Amino acid sequence: MTNNQRIAYIALLSAQAVIIGLFERAIPFPFAFAPGAKLGLANIITLMALYTLPVKDTFKVVILRLILGTLFGGTISTFMYSALGAIFSFISMYFVKTIGNKQISLIGVSATGAIFHNIGQLTVASWIAKTWTVFLYLPVLSFIGLLAGIATGIMANYLLNHVEKLNYYLHLQELRKQPEAKGGRDEHASNLG
Amino acid sequence: MRSFFKMIKPLDIIIVLGLVFLSFVPTIIFSWNQTQARGEDTDLYAVITVDNEEVKRINLSKTEGTEVFDITSEDGGINRVEVKQDKIRVIYANCPDQIDVKQGEISQPGEMIICLPHKFVIEIVAQNTQADDLIISS
Repeated sequence: MTNNQRIAYIALLSAQAVIIGLFERAIPFPFAFAPGAKLGLANIITLMALYTLPVKDTFKVVILRLILGTLFGGTISTFMYSALGAIFSFISMYFVKTIGNKQISLIGVSATGAIFHNIGQLTVASWIAKTWTVFLYLPVLSFIGLLAGIATGIMANYLLNHVEKLNYYLHLQELRKQPEAKGGRDEHASNLG
Repeated sequence: MRSFFKMIKPLDIIIVLGLVFLSFVPTIIFSWNQTQARGEDTDLYAVITVDNEEVKRINLSKTEGTEVFDITSEDGGINRVEVKQDKIRVIYANCPDQIDVKQGEISQPGEMIICLPHKFVIEIVAQNTQADDLIISS
């Protein structure tokens, strides 16, 4: 990936995430028993970034998505919720992906991200309301979060395996982690593109 | 379908189960705390706070009939509260999301109604009638 390609790719991912987020907001939420819960479809993009870009660039995607998403239809208070949620879920997903490595698929990573997004939001809520009992709401949120997270994981898995460019970037990313050890696979990877 | 099951790896299942457990940890801690605190002679109180300052404390166990009153926040936010015996709910709020109205009645110690735009919180606490000065902080 050249530098320009990388920048364009980051911009593309953030743009997609913002649009998915806006689109999701337009869908009326069917679960009346859990006000405040969201599907979190934009997490697909974070997952894509996590698997195809270095950590630093993934963080850029997350931050860009956050700021743009707020500018396009949020308030300061929703910004605070989603900021801590996004940062929590990003850190936890990176952590789980690193320790799990080959043992864990996108489904587990995505579910972790969903739950920690909720934990981040509730942390802000409990900070504003100044009582930690807000966390009693966590099971309701995480029930939907888990289901949506698993679904998102499956979707992301298909995307990563079937969209050619994403698959190619995934290989590049894997190669970058072990640069000298398996230098021979470089040719194979570039053939994919 | 088989390719679908192949996608799931063993650590996924462990992680998902771990997350389910994690999401119940606050509930477990809280209900454990409550059973420690709750004795024989307890009444249910609804504590209403705005911006972390207590504005009203109602003894729900001794309420008869229906009481309705408004709680106004500094920025003009109104929450209309309805109290019945052992139950409390918000019947009207002028905040955009209406989460507190949708939540309905609460009656168990530890349950809360929160309206974040108005920094308005109703919490039910179990309080010992014999020793009124003992305040359970949680």
